[in-house]
Amino acid sequence: MVLNDFLQNIIGGVTVGSTYGLIGLGVVFLWQSINRINFANISSAMLTAYLFYSFYTQLHFNFFFSFITSIAIIAIYGLLLRYLVFEPISRHGGDKLEFVVATLMLCTLWLSVIKVLYGGLPKPFPPVFGESTKFVQIGPISIPSVYFWIFFVVVLLIFALFLFLRKSIIGKMLRATAQNREASLLMGINVNMTTSLAFMLSTTIVGIAGILLAPIYFVSLELGGGSIGVKGFASAVMGGLIDPFGAILGGIAIGLVENFSTLFISSAYKDIISFIILVVVLIWKPRGIFNWTAKGD
Amino acid sequence: MIRFFRNAFIVLVLLALIGGSIWAQGKIDPSKPIKIVLSAPFTGTGSILGDYIKGGAQLAVDEINSSGGVEGAKFQLIVYDDQANASTAATVVRRALYEDKAVAIFGPNMSAAVIGVHTLAQQAKIPMLVGATSVSFRYDKVKNDYLFRLRADDGVKVAQQVKYIAEVLKAKKPGAIVGSTDYCTSALDVAKQAFEKYGIKFIDIEMMKEGDKDVTAQITKLKNSGIDVLVGLTHEPEAAVVMKQVRQMKLTVPAVGFSAWGVPAFTDLAGDAAIGVISVQGFNPTDPDPAVKKFVDAYKAKWGNEPSDPAQCYYDGIYLLKKAIEMAGSTDSVKIAEALKKVEYTGVQGPMKCDDLHNYTNVCYISQFDGKDWKIISKLQ
Repeated sequence: MVLNDFLQNIIGGVTVGSTYGLIGLGVVFLWQSINRINFANISSAMLTAYLFYSFYTQLHFNFFFSFITSIAIIAIYGLLLRYLVFEPISRHGGDKLEFVVATLMLCTLWLSVIKVLYGGLPKPFPPVFGESTKFVQIGPISIPSVYFWIFFVVVLLIFALFLFLRKSIIGKMLRATAQNREASLLMGINVNMTTSLAFMLSTTIVGIAGILLAPIYFVSLELGGGSIGVKGFASAVMGGLIDPFGAILGGIAIGLVENFSTLFISSAYKDIISFIILVVVLIWKPRGIFNWTAKGD
Repeated sequence: MIRFFRNAFIVLVLLALIGGSIWAQGKIDPSKPIKIVLSAPFTGTGSILGDYIKGGAQLAVDEINSSGGVEGAKFQLIVYDDQANASTAATVVRRALYEDKAVAIFGPNMSAAVIGVHTLAQQAKIPMLVGATSVSFRYDKVKNDYLFRLRADDGVKVAQQVKYIAEVLKAKKPGAIVGSTDYCTSALDVAKQAFEKYGIKFIDIEMMKEGDKDVTAQITKLKNSGIDVLVGLTHEPEAAVVMKQVRQMKLTVPAVGFSAWGVPAFTDLAGDAAIGVISVQGFNPTDPDPAVKKFVDAYKAKWGNEPSDPAQCYYDGIYLLKKAIEMAGSTDSVKIAEALKKVEYTGVQGPMKCDDLHNYTNVCYISQFDGKDWKIISKLQ
């Protein structure tokens, strides 16, 4: 095993893992805001990818229009999720379990809707991030051009989120609501607005992850279910469901474990090893291995 | 005396009615549709094929019905999604057998699903005609008189693939990348046996799971082992993932895939990465054979796109069933099964007849993708 192979696998693991982290971010935002897990979180990735495919490939709009419109629609979907699912359940006395069941059903519903509208065949994602055979050569390492886009967008997103959450008034209001909803209300923070924002941010971030993942996963039903949703959730758990940046790091850790367990052991055991490590981490650090806010674990 | 003759007459009438109903059972009745069920994957692994399977079967059903049906009786095609999953396929097959009361079942198409359900058809004595290609359920292994295969199995295809690699490419150090389903692993077993006849062994075999989107580690190991040909034994989306990363990591050896590597579902997803890939195919729409051209034109006219393997085998299968019902003169499933063993038909896949392994054909092609079409290198009939 040479250094090149090592680096090649690191690049692969970090790239795919950072997209798991973005999906985990969606979980974290909602948990922090309303203390609920949205099991239809991954559906936002699938819906956005299909929306983009429809606008760009089928309707021939340009990249920016297709991207902005898809993201805008998925942000509105986040708002609808709040008012059509979360609020009615809360009003009728439902709690965490009812929300879990409702979002699980929603996830299945979206898979069926997409299957009816687009069929079961995966569609090729248009080469907006470069042709599938286009690579950047750095010494002996060749990196697909789409990986650069993924890196660039994830770094940009993390930086933007950092600025938003730490430096902006609205971001501070969002964090305050997440930490203590009642106290925030007493302090005059518009909790209604921050809750809506959390829903919209949650679906938007996962939607962006969907567009980044589609060149790798194809525009497919697989984006809306299966192991990718579980890995996104695992990324969030690795960050303790608290720290958004912990979720990103959790995702990267999962991506690296997958790649290196395949490289050194076997691809047959990849998922087994990844989830054994997750379970061990949870037992050792139940508040998350990348949760910088937790002390004394 | 009168009472005696009256009672005898009543008994005779009753006997005639009972005998008549027994005799009428299974007779082709033009006023009743002949129900056939199609079990195909529209979601899940293999969902890539469901539309093609349904397209081929429905085209044949519509053609037959519009030209008079089967001695006046029309086919009714009932389609279910088996999700390429054995337990879902079992639910579908039970529904077909006991609710729909189908006279025959087409599919499942995924080998893993067939392995799980073919005994249900055997117990119910309903013929099951499948496009699945694993050698695991050849007749000599399962002895199921009600299971029939509509296209060349992997034993034939993989043998042709290995023959091409050993005799034409003259490769001596093959490496393989293999999926985890029965379709893939049984093909690997066949490939190992076929290579042994040439005194060749795989120098590296890497596994991948369906749904894997990164095979950097596997390609790294194959490259480092010094292979001189890559043997692809995966499903279509995984084939696309493999070839993209093969090109990325500059593994420049020839890539020879088996049937899932030779369909538009793979080339659409792989894009330029598929150029130069060689595959053993069960069907090639560019085949100049008139029967193939007629089928391709009819499929395009109806569905707007070119057919892909295994559309042709389900198309042929519906016509085979029609002929078997006509030969049996009945919709009784036991008689249909007996007729299916004897019926001969020339279809898109050429002459078709049930052999000792309950396979109807061994037709396959070795082709190479040029970026637009699969150019046929050789055709085995």
